[in-house]
Amino acid sequence: MTTIVTITNQPIRIPDVLDAVSSPRAGGIDIFVGTVRDHSGGARVKRLEYTAYDAMALRLMHQVEEEIRSRWEVHGVVLIHRTGILEIGEIAVVTAVSCSHRKDAFDACRFAIDRIKAIVPIWKKEWTEEGESWGANEPLEIRERQQMKDRDAR
Amino acid sequence: MQQLKTTEITVKLFGPLRDIVGKDEVPCHIPDVPTGETVFAELVREHPDLLPWRDHLMLAVNLTYVPFDHPVTGADDVAFIPPVSGG
Repeated sequence: MTTIVTITNQPIRIPDVLDAVSSPRAGGIDIFVGTVRDHSGGARVKRLEYTAYDAMALRLMHQVEEEIRSRWEVHGVVLIHRTGILEIGEIAVVTAVSCSHRKDAFDACRFAIDRIKAIVPIWKKEWTEEGESWGANEPLEIRERQQMKDRDAR
Repeated sequence: MQQLKTTEITVKLFGPLRDIVGKDEVPCHIPDVPTGETVFAELVREHPDLLPWRDHLMLAVNLTYVPFDHPVTGADDVAFIPPVSGG
């Protein structure tokens, strides 16, 4: 019953994840791989920078692992989030589970990534052609206020 | 002159809040019994640009999400968590 829960500034290698999550008891493995996309809304993204509240992020990722194990019969669990500056196409996050049956594997893997996105204190800054922005992270009213300020300044 | 008794709370800052304040953490001096609410009010006094974030933040004390009126002490790990965007 392998568990790996990590935050790292090093590239994530999928073959290593697959090795770690494999189990002789598993009938299926699901791996979700989140990658850096070259656009956000209408803007062209050049790269992303992820920062984390490391201690709390790790604690909550372990909580997600416990939640998975309490809901489904899973064998291996691997949850890894990358931090630092990432280029287009690089892997930002991986959730992987091995289960006796595929339905549990699909459901648990999807839950893992959805839960990480919802509660783990990690932030993504987008570097676009117009500059840097917190993207969807920034509440709409704050973005609108900033746009108004920028307009007034021109 | 009477010295007002205050508690020093160190607030950790992340994401957009770190950009606004320009630091990873800041000390806040709070009279009476500090809570997330009074600590944030003190932060806003020093950094008014934080105010519009108020309704979008979560309070974390010792690595756990708690309500804004949760009491805090100088020994606690205190952070205001802007909307997360991992993944």
